[in-house]
Amino acid sequence: MNRETAPTDWKGAVMQKRIAGRYAAERRFKLLGLGAVLLSGAFLAFLLFVMVGNGARGFMYTHVAVPVDFKAMPLTIDKARLADADADQVIANAGLSDIVAFAADEALGTDGSKLISENAWKEVRSAIKADPELLTAKTVFELPASSEVDIAAKEGAKGALGAKVDALEKQGKLSTGIHWPFFKNADATDPAVAGIWGALKGSVLTIFIAFLIAFPTGVLAALYLEEYAPKNRWTDLIEVSINNLAAVPSIIFGLLALAVFINWFGLCQASPLVGGLTLALMTMPVIVIASRNAIKSVPPSIRDAALGVGASPVQVVFHHVLPLALPGILTGTIIGMARALGETAPLLLVGMRAFIGDVPGGICSPSTVLPMQIFLWSDEVDRGFVEKTSAAIIVLLIVLLSMNAFAIYLRNKFEKRW
Amino acid sequence: MTFNAAALLLLIAGLALIGWLAGRARSNLLAGRAGEKLHSRPQYHGWYVALWLFAPAALFLAVWSSVSPALITNQVLTTEAAQNLPSFGFERGAILSDARAVAQGSQAAVRLPAAAPLVKPYADASQKYAWIGIAAMLALALAGGLYAFTRIKPDFRARSRVEKIVMLFLLLASLVAILTTFGIVLSLLFESIRFFRLVSPTELLFGTEWAPTSGAPQPDTFGGIPLFWGTILIGAIIAMIVAIPIGMMTAVYLTQYAAPTVRKWVKPLLEILAGVPTVVYGYFAALTVAPALREFAVMLGIPNASTESALAAGIVMGVMIIPFVSSMADDSINAVPQAMRDGSLALGATPNETIRQVLIPAALPGVMGGILLAVSRAIGETMIVVMAAGLSANMTANPFASVTTVTAQIVKLLTGDQEFDSAKTLAAFALGLVLFIVTLLLNIVALRIVKKYREAYE
Repeated sequence: MNRETAPTDWKGAVMQKRIAGRYAAERRFKLLGLGAVLLSGAFLAFLLFVMVGNGARGFMYTHVAVPVDFKAMPLTIDKARLADADADQVIANAGLSDIVAFAADEALGTDGSKLISENAWKEVRSAIKADPELLTAKTVFELPASSEVDIAAKEGAKGALGAKVDALEKQGKLSTGIHWPFFKNADATDPAVAGIWGALKGSVLTIFIAFLIAFPTGVLAALYLEEYAPKNRWTDLIEVSINNLAAVPSIIFGLLALAVFINWFGLCQASPLVGGLTLALMTMPVIVIASRNAIKSVPPSIRDAALGVGASPVQVVFHHVLPLALPGILTGTIIGMARALGETAPLLLVGMRAFIGDVPGGICSPSTVLPMQIFLWSDEVDRGFVEKTSAAIIVLLIVLLSMNAFAIYLRNKFEKRW
Repeated sequence: MTFNAAALLLLIAGLALIGWLAGRARSNLLAGRAGEKLHSRPQYHGWYVALWLFAPAALFLAVWSSVSPALITNQVLTTEAAQNLPSFGFERGAILSDARAVAQGSQAAVRLPAAAPLVKPYADASQKYAWIGIAAMLALALAGGLYAFTRIKPDFRARSRVEKIVMLFLLLASLVAILTTFGIVLSLLFESIRFFRLVSPTELLFGTEWAPTSGAPQPDTFGGIPLFWGTILIGAIIAMIVAIPIGMMTAVYLTQYAAPTVRKWVKPLLEILAGVPTVVYGYFAALTVAPALREFAVMLGIPNASTESALAAGIVMGVMIIPFVSSMADDSINAVPQAMRDGSLALGATPNETIRQVLIPAALPGVMGGILLAVSRAIGETMIVVMAAGLSANMTANPFASVTTVTAQIVKLLTGDQEFDSAKTLAAFALGLVLFIVTLLLNIVALRIVKKYREAYE
């Protein structure tokens, strides 16, 4: 026995040190892995923290108490006309905005009208429409503050404005509450009245169109490819194009939609119809792939049994395979729809970028969607819009996460092992 | 009276329901009278009638609603009021669409004075063509329904007919994917060719100056290299430096070390990163990451650090791609046979030696494929770069500088107010074509690698 082949001395100092070193490397490596997981988790937490931190305040707004005395400053309006369709116009023409500005100056000192939002008189207008008796009395209205005052009240500000806000606060004239116009209005240039309802409705219409087109098409295509398609060059071509489409950058779909739907077919630009069609083309491959997996997992014995008792191939699929595969198909569809709901880039190209101050009326009227609203607001330097943007992001994330959670719930509930 | 496609679709759907009921009733009646058994169950006869009623009319509706606007415009152009329209161009189109909007009632009054005399001709023409369309559609529906109705006999093979039509629908649905692909290729190619008539392809691919919005004295220049470099810098370099190590280590930890319950919870949590909309990432990058990086750069003493930096966009994009890389790596590590891992451990290697020297080399082709797919996704990403990377075409390796990418320029070129035939607008399609080809190639190569590797162990 010579020394080279001697059994290793496991107890020797050199070997012990080596083993210790290897174990230390093992621990380091494991920690590195844990660190990577924690890093991604930390990033997610940081992202959510920043958004919630900025956005939570966007749901709130500061109001200033302004007494308006219509006895001292009468607004001459024929009460009968308040029920008319053009009541808004009538009140505006009667000079309500001047009266409100004057009342604000009187109540809050010089330049008091600058402390309330320039659209504040519209709140008074809707109050008057609801209760015409207000026109003969003195009422204290809680009017939305101007954007600067709102920020100063929430964060504290220095200088003249800060002093003014502090003084108002001491007098108890400021109040903060949930900002309902944020949920009820469409986009506006004034952060005090800008809201997400128009974008939300646009999103719902767009996704509805996308679902209406992508879901049946995707499921039928998946059924064909999985159940009936012969193996030949044509079906190969279909499969290859579906897989490629799933990986095509979304902005390419925007270019397609611009060239085909808008410039060729002349469909209504910037509308939920065109947006929905674009997103439908984008989501269809995702739905096909998910549906094929769901259909594939239905065991062949079920098909054989149905065929065995005399069902036709179409009956086998529509009476047996499809109902069993449906939970899986729906899971994939919800996830695809959630992705489409958060998509912005292709919609930029079909013109949904424009400023839309109205809630969309139908599928062909110009509208915007929630992610686009976030994008447009992110360009506004006004500090009031930073909060609004984050608040809109919170709404979007809540919608998307609940869609995904629902998909996971569906998958867990209906997951079958055959 | 305008041509409301949705209402008409509902109308023929209603007719189809009546057809279904009638077909079902008649088949029952005939069977009872002849004392025979039906070949198909009554609802299949109903479906047969309903489909014959619905399909031709719906098809006509689709064709008519895409053809009739052109017909209406043609008729308006022959009227006297249209004689003094400006000849071709943007203004003419604006006047026509203004008049159309008023005539269809979607707009209360004309915005352009020149459109006013055209409103009545437009309304008349739309009404005329709407009536023609509705009459033809109803005639088609009734003819189809009657034809199907008269064919109902007890021994009529309604079920196989209906099933044939169902199969046709299935086939048509799967053809949509091919149509979309062709649509993409043709529209990109068609517009790109128009662009290349104005600007040579070599300039786009190899030119080093990108200035499509230059003023009138200098001509526009469309050299794409700065865009391609910016795209590579952000998508293929910075994003990957973030995503690959974190994604790989995450996959290794989750597959090899983490307890099953930890894995069950952490994986979907990471998937959230992939589910966050890109516009949110863009906002986050522009508002939080970029200013922080700028301060960091200023602290390091880097002059003229921009708030719009390649680094901010790249880092955030890398984070977005982490779950993508980690799930691809997860798959390929899991695909390595357990015997190889057991063998290495049995020889006395520690888990990390096994992972680094056995599992990762064996999984490498799959991981590479996954990385290529991630790169393809990163270079196609739009919103993050539009919001955080800036729009100035710089050829710089400085990650703190502002760079621009292909996707950001496509958005920029197409969101201004421009006529559709200018070289600037067409350039967006040429860039789109380049992007499409590059991502397609990356995807094909990546899938080849993944597929080839998978076969090696089976």
